[in-house]
Amino acid sequence: MSEKIKVTINGKEILTTPDKTILQVAEENGIDIPHYCYHPGLPVAGNCRMCLVEVEGARKLQTACSTQVRDGMVVRTDTPQVKEAVRQVLEFMLINHPLDCPVCDQAGECGLQDYYMEYGQYDPKFIENKNKKSKKATPIGKYVILDQERCILCARCVRFTRFITKTEEIGIFNRGDHSEVDLFPGKELNNRYTGNLVDICPVGAMTCRDFRFKCRVWYLEEFDSICPGCSRGCNIKIYYNPHRPHKADGNRVLRFKPRFNPEVNRYWMCDDGRYGYKFIDENRIMYPLKGKEEVYLDEAINSFVSLLKESIPDRTFYLLSANSTNEELFATKKFFVDNYKLENIFLPDEDIFTGDRDDLLITEDKHPNTNGVKAIFNILYKDLIKLDELRELLEEKSISLLIVNRHELPEDVLDFIKENGIKLVYLGTNFNKTSKAADLVFPISVFAEKEGSFINVDKRFQKFSSRLEPLGVSMPEWVLFNRLSELMEFPVYYSSYMNIFKHMISEVGAFKNIDLNNINKYGVLVEL
Amino acid sequence: MSVEISVNLRKKIDEIKKKFPRDKSPILPLLHAFQDEFGYISVEIEEEVAKIVGVSPVYVREVSTFYSMFNNKPVGKYHIQVCGNISCWLRGYDEIVEYIKKKLGIEIGETTPDGKFTLSRVECLGMCDQAPVMQINGDFYGNLTPEKIDEILDNLE
Repeated sequence: MSEKIKVTINGKEILTTPDKTILQVAEENGIDIPHYCYHPGLPVAGNCRMCLVEVEGARKLQTACSTQVRDGMVVRTDTPQVKEAVRQVLEFMLINHPLDCPVCDQAGECGLQDYYMEYGQYDPKFIENKNKKSKKATPIGKYVILDQERCILCARCVRFTRFITKTEEIGIFNRGDHSEVDLFPGKELNNRYTGNLVDICPVGAMTCRDFRFKCRVWYLEEFDSICPGCSRGCNIKIYYNPHRPHKADGNRVLRFKPRFNPEVNRYWMCDDGRYGYKFIDENRIMYPLKGKEEVYLDEAINSFVSLLKESIPDRTFYLLSANSTNEELFATKKFFVDNYKLENIFLPDEDIFTGDRDDLLITEDKHPNTNGVKAIFNILYKDLIKLDELRELLEEKSISLLIVNRHELPEDVLDFIKENGIKLVYLGTNFNKTSKAADLVFPISVFAEKEGSFINVDKRFQKFSSRLEPLGVSMPEWVLFNRLSELMEFPVYYSSYMNIFKHMISEVGAFKNIDLNNINKYGVLVEL
Repeated sequence: MSVEISVNLRKKIDEIKKKFPRDKSPILPLLHAFQDEFGYISVEIEEEVAKIVGVSPVYVREVSTFYSMFNNKPVGKYHIQVCGNISCWLRGYDEIVEYIKKKLGIEIGETTPDGKFTLSRVECLGMCDQAPVMQINGDFYGNLTPEKIDEILDNLE
């Protein structure tokens, strides 16, 4: 712990530590200092000059982002001199910036627009011609469009590729008003975190090829969630479009963006997770299917109960999914293990050992909640079954009812099921070959449509909620197991999400250090 | 495409590297050495220099495109760099540069078809007392007039 020092900003006395900059201390205390080049996740550059403030005793204005606080420092951010300096810096930035906001995808979340409202000249003095840059709306990489004339040379993207991904594809070339952000000639923007460039670009110089022109940002709503793309469990914001449903082919969710969590993903997320959102609206199972026909939920549930009653636990087989939330897994365990007395309940190793990982965020296990399965079912890696050995297992145990949660079964297993008249029940969110071969299909809501929790690769328990309605009659698994429990006359019955959540926290050993009333917004470490 | 480094250049590189305490420091002198050898700084040279000093090619390109002394495309045998900053401009830059353009039949940034001359406009050459000035390869010429330009250019082989 470093010593406490006293700093005065705009007349407000603040106790802080000397390892911080003026900008950081101001932000922590709700004082807004305009800035472009400063980004908390990147090294300080001090090149945009927007964060100029008055420091008592200093001859000139100082950049708040690069000046460390000292004991007794007196800072003012609201004097006419500061305002005038920022106004003029902003005018310089806009000298070569086009006035194309009406066709710019950044409009609505643009740093230039935001600060111009407060610090604009409104009567610009600059009458010379604008400087033309070489690249206009040029794709760089799979997900990013570069528009050099909109760039204000803050170099956040340069620092991101230099210090975060360490791939160094981008630089600022040439000098003065000829400076332009560009790729090294012949090099491609070829890293797995390119979406972050669009996030950190404070203006419209880098926009997203995937999101561009789908919807104006002011029509979007957002809520916090957890990325289900891999076991890292990056904290995200989901942006959806409730006000313009005719846009973007009727898809609700239009983008993910990372949300700060110092313990998990800091400010970033990978492209695989970011652009993996499409399954939320595409190819969804919305209604129960029985023999490929849509049926009412009651009918499907009754058929499932008959199947469960016809089969016996020894001849029933359940394939768990590490995409299920903890609450769903808990309900599954209550229903199948505790009440139905099922022993054949396994997690396949599908997509768990992909070998695809890096040192930044991407983990090899492409499921969000393998550790949740471990916590609730006490399944260890050695207990995982291989899908290509499933056929033998089914044969050996003479299984008559196979229930699959989300997995894609290999062809030989599907053939074997057909030949031997094994009943196949599929619980899932999206259609695949297995759902198409199933006798009964139940629509499950995706993570973005329900409350729940995942445990990430570092055993961090993270809760998430939703503001989206499930499509069709899809529902969380625990709701389905509620209905089944009623008809099977099993004792477990959960009235609400909070109800099942509380039961789970108190009953699962791994969750004993979770305090129900005080769950950290950055997640809680659990013992596995 | 990689750059072929002559024995002479290799020797120069080693000498330059020895003079600097840190690996990153000799980027500028190295770029000069390469430009002396090849006449301009190609993308391949930037990659080569990056390898020598242990930084990324982007880093070297940021340096080499920043300074107008480095040519990013081939230039003629004689590179005429006319100063266009305030002292020279007030003392007749426009007239001088128009005269050269007409004499050689090229625009600023172009090279004569025979590859002999390239014309550039550069920032201050530090000889304002003799404005207007120009630099041809390593030599400086001040107090320029059309007659003086004729004399200088006609004497270049």
